Amino acid sequence: MSAHTGGRSAGPPLTRRQALQLGAAVALGGATASLAGCSASSDAITSQLIHGATGGGLKDTLDPHFPVTMPDIARVRSLYEPLLRFTPDYTIEPSLATAVEHNADATEWTFHLREGVTFHDGRPLTADDVKASIERMADPKNPAALFSDIAPTVDLAASKALDDKTYRIKLKVPHSILDQVLASYSLGVVPRDFDVKHPIGTGPFRYESFLPGQRSHFVRHDGYWDHKAKVDSLLILDFGDDAAKVSALLAGQVHTIDNLPPYLASAIGQQGAHALVSETGGWVPFTMRVDQKPFSDKRVRQAMRLIVDRQQLIDQALSGFGRVGNDLYGPFDPDYLGTELPQRHQDIAQAKHLLKAAGHEDLQVELVTSPAVGSGGVESANLLVQQAAKAGVQVRVTKADPSVFYGPQYLQWLFAQDFWSTRLYLPQAIACALKTSPYNETHFDHPQFTELITSARRETDPARRRTLLQDAQRIEYDEGGLIIWAFANQVDGYSRQVSGVVPCREQPVSSYRFHLFTVKDQ
Amino acid sequence: MSTAASHAATPAPSPEPDRRDTAQGRSAGRAWTRWILKRLGLAVLTLWVVSLIVFVATSALGDPVRAILGKDFAVSPERVAQIRAAMHLDESLPQRYWIWLSGLLRGDLGTSIANGVPVSELIGAKVANSAFLVLVVTLIMVPLSLGLAILAARHRGGPIDNAIQVVTLALAGVPEFVTGILLVSLLSTSVFHILPAVTVLPAGAMVWQRPLGLILPVATLVIAVVPYLARILRSTLVETMDSDYVELARLKGIPERLVLRRHALPNTLVPTVQVSALQLAWLVGGVVLVEYLFNFPGIGAALVDAVRNGDFPVVQALAMVIAAVYIVVNLVADALSILLTPRARTEMVA
Repeated sequence: MSAHTGGRSAGPPLTRRQALQLGAAVALGGATASLAGCSASSDAITSQLIHGATGGGLKDTLDPHFPVTMPDIARVRSLYEPLLRFTPDYTIEPSLATAVEHNADATEWTFHLREGVTFHDGRPLTADDVKASIERMADPKNPAALFSDIAPTVDLAASKALDDKTYRIKLKVPHSILDQVLASYSLGVVPRDFDVKHPIGTGPFRYESFLPGQRSHFVRHDGYWDHKAKVDSLLILDFGDDAAKVSALLAGQVHTIDNLPPYLASAIGQQGAHALVSETGGWVPFTMRVDQKPFSDKRVRQAMRLIVDRQQLIDQALSGFGRVGNDLYGPFDPDYLGTELPQRHQDIAQAKHLLKAAGHEDLQVELVTSPAVGSGGVESANLLVQQAAKAGVQVRVTKADPSVFYGPQYLQWLFAQDFWSTRLYLPQAIACALKTSPYNETHFDHPQFTELITSARRETDPARRRTLLQDAQRIEYDEGGLIIWAFANQVDGYSRQVSGVVPCREQPVSSYRFHLFTVKDQ
Repeated sequence: MSTAASHAATPAPSPEPDRRDTAQGRSAGRAWTRWILKRLGLAVLTLWVVSLIVFVATSALGDPVRAILGKDFAVSPERVAQIRAAMHLDESLPQRYWIWLSGLLRGDLGTSIANGVPVSELIGAKVANSAFLVLVVTLIMVPLSLGLAILAARHRGGPIDNAIQVVTLALAGVPEFVTGILLVSLLSTSVFHILPAVTVLPAGAMVWQRPLGLILPVATLVIAVVPYLARILRSTLVETMDSDYVELARLKGIPERLVLRRHALPNTLVPTVQVSALQLAWLVGGVVLVEYLFNFPGIGAALVDAVRNGDFPVVQALAMVIAAVYIVVNLVADALSILLTPRARTEMVA
């Protein structure tokens, strides 16, 4: 498959004089060179990329399989690598595995490992390491989050290294897209004697120090098999506050930040920084429980979907940074049907008609939201109140604390919101639309749909799988309980000194591929 | 104005108490010991009551395991069991309190649930950073407020006084994070680029090793506290300067400068100490917004983070630290007040 396109930065050769922290602030201001002396620290002579990450706290971890916070994801991506990986436009390409084969019923998957891959401690990657990593991800007591639906189906005893560079995993239940699952950033390969206290991986950066909630310092992995990092070291700083994060970027104390407040996207351009806008497959749906009145009536759900003015929600709740959704998820899946089915628009007359037919002409319903839902959540809930009023539907918004929203009542709310990040269609459906799904907010349990998903999971022929998945999407489009009004665009910020940053669909800040960034002296 | 100070209004400063001190040195020492022991006893009692409140309050916040795991609660029963065991959640409330308190007495603050690291290790550096910030702010705040108050009182009604009054009133009305944002855009990002906008510390470094990074947080807090303190001190000073004994001193022909320094000022020291102590205690844990704004690694933001994570051992430890600071600062302030009030001083010995 094709090599990274984002890696080829045509920037000038790296200068070693890259000043740190305050030094960068001075460079940006073009003043008082005397201050640069104050930035001297043990690593001051090397070139360093400093990333300001949103959030983080004492929960921060270096565990490859359980990243929780944004800085965790940035760290995991720098230290570890999965067997396969996603390109900027969200298709899979080889990473640690150069080739993948499976048997006819997709129960045996064979991975051929790349030659010349070494861990941070210099040891070569072997199939035994992959075996140990899969065992760690599939640990029945504590499976990795993105592996939890597959973990119980892995036959660990029968999964083994065929030789030094070949690993075969055996599944008890067929899974036709295991390769796509194993391209997830949080399913990194670690050495067989891995201990999170000495976090060793094959990634472009090597662990140096880590202080939860504050900072992590990594240095370049000189034995990296792919594009070696262009900077000597990487510093990731946690920021609890948006204002502090943006100030740090503008003052030149950090080079890149994730999750720039969208309303600042144009303003920071005048102050020496750029906004990076990337399309993502992330969504913040309204969730209607299909097993309870009034939403148990399909017509009421359809009416609610017609009440929503999607573009207005994007303009106001997402500051314009989003694309209209069509009540289906997985927009980057090659089998995505949302663009082929008729786009739903606000249609108050039709909504009223459907409500009348269902006997819910003056519908009153409580919508539960929370700041924990993330950007655009509470704002879109408030806007929905006005939009619903046009159709005579009275929506009352209840704003719950994060611990209440995701407390005992989570997945029980009649009408609420939630958040999801970029995924392909099948893993997403398995996570949220089956009776057995861990996060089935809408209590969707449609026999025909379940049958289609189960078949698709086993189906190894891409064309036949496409038919199954698209039939499943038609069912969700007509009868589902999700109102997917938009896919958000990710807005990040980076300094003028940084080049090599390209929009990526998978994750913020060019999917945190810091090794491809160059930091110039100004 | 405190009553102790007004009672103590002695017309002239006299060296007599000092002479008496040498004669009664031993009994004075004993009186002080008794006073300090009594206050320490009260302090310990207060801390114990605080520990009860902190413990019950954190226990009443609902199921901590759900707060910790959030969306993952339903899907990871193993982790639920693990956390329940680590927090002794299956024991009764008094038993849990005893486990916690006895640990506390041994200096064991417990282990963070969020990341399994001992709490003392997690908060040690942050407590030191916050303490240093408060110390620097105090060293600037007290002389600056007192200076402004004297300047204003001295020129009461004049343009200097008016200017000070207007400026301090205006600044007192601005929330501290607004001041902080304005300072950052003035000195770091938009106008000039001379100071770092946020605190960036190398691994293992403490805030005092990056003095430039301290300037903006300290300036923000000084601007937040000084106007309030200066206004209170000015009104105390003005009140004293209107009193009969000061008038008498003036009638004796003592120059106004001396009247202020030797007659009026000593009586404003007690309120200075008391008001400063309250401000200090607030500065220790109450400056979350300022810590966030400058990414300052202090305990205010750590406490908010811990509450958000449902990390109860950290919440409890920090609440106890903040309570202890309140108690110690007030104890010191009371001792200083007695030392600075001749009448109270002699009463102690008598």
